[in-house]
Amino acid sequence: MKPDPLDRLSARLFDAARSEAPPRGAEQRALEAARLESSQRRPANAAPSARRKWLAAGFGVALAAGTALWLRPKEASVGISAEPSSIARARPEPRSAPPVEAPSAAVPALQPMPTPPKPRASGPAAIQPAPVTLTEELSALKVASSALSAGDTRAALAALDHYDRVLKGKKMRAEATLLRIEALSRAGQAEAASALAQRFVEQNPGNPLVDRARSFVHE
Amino acid sequence: MARSRDEVIGNPTKVVPAGTSEPAASGLSINSLVAQHYGFVWRILRGLGLSRTDAEDATQQVFMIAARKLDEIDPNRARSFVYGAALRVANNARRGLRRRREVLDYETSDEPELESRGPEKMAELVQARLLLSQILDKLPENQRRVIVLAEIEQLEVPEIAALEGVPVGTAASRLRIAREKFRALLAGMRDQNPFGDDQ
Repeated sequence: MKPDPLDRLSARLFDAARSEAPPRGAEQRALEAARLESSQRRPANAAPSARRKWLAAGFGVALAAGTALWLRPKEASVGISAEPSSIARARPEPRSAPPVEAPSAAVPALQPMPTPPKPRASGPAAIQPAPVTLTEELSALKVASSALSAGDTRAALAALDHYDRVLKGKKMRAEATLLRIEALSRAGQAEAASALAQRFVEQNPGNPLVDRARSFVHE
Repeated sequence: MARSRDEVIGNPTKVVPAGTSEPAASGLSINSLVAQHYGFVWRILRGLGLSRTDAEDATQQVFMIAARKLDEIDPNRARSFVYGAALRVANNARRGLRRRREVLDYETSDEPELESRGPEKMAELVQARLLLSQILDKLPENQRRVIVLAEIEQLEVPEIAALEGVPVGTAASRLRIAREKFRALLAGMRDQNPFGDDQ
């Protein structure tokens, strides 16, 4: 008996779905992200903070595009965030929030846009910590952006806290603030988001991200 | 046991053989969990309507959740755990604002299977997946899930019932209704048959 054409078509559609393979390297990226998460889960196994910097630096270069993608649809750009998006998936992208303090829902004090780095205290015995690189800053923001895209506002805020408190990020300050505004907004903290957005608008009138920030301000 | 530096810092370029990560008290290791269930989770998320890109992100989220809860996962129910996590992550992802055009997604994708088939077969497969996705989009969520589990994952009804946490009879009935609806929807869209006139 000839098979029913609809059954046959149906079977071929499902075959097509079954034959689909994940993007190249996706499983390895997931494994790396999970391993990172797992290592953060067990502090006893964790190395000191230098390890975090290693991780951030290792992954960082690929992460610029993530931030750029997050910003591009809103017609905002701040120079350094615009790198080719094709880079973004070329390397593992850890999606985890860094092992930092509990995310702060409170609106942090807003810092103006990039300020010159302060000279570090130097003494004969002082060990100069390595300066935080742009890739490290981008890495933290990519983690936040990915978490936000996945609806995990808590992880996004934790990553932004890491950016503020641990990295003391400066180069991507505007993007970080916008991400925090969006994370607060999506976390249901519209008032906090609005207050932060208002301050951003007031303190950075010439910044290209002002229009986006303004959209979060409640009149 | 001392761990290598690459393992400690999670060197992204190093391929980590399965089983090298420290297993949880349950005996599960994140390596084995990813190795055994990555494809399942990824296909479920695709079947639930996430784009290729979003499915990758969401799958990664699932295994990060699993990594956090490794100690709590019953090795005999690991698939149920990742399935449940995948459903929650999918819900969050779909609430986000990341609706993408599937065609663009494919154009920028790197699917070895597709690339090796030549342009015509490739177009056929992409169209087939798009048509399937359009039909699944029209099904109620619980029917969509069971049909994905049955037809794409090819699970038996008792397995579906276990994953869905419903009695076998409920799963069977849901699947029957889902298949009927799927067939009716497909009949209405057969003019979009990507396989041309060979039906």
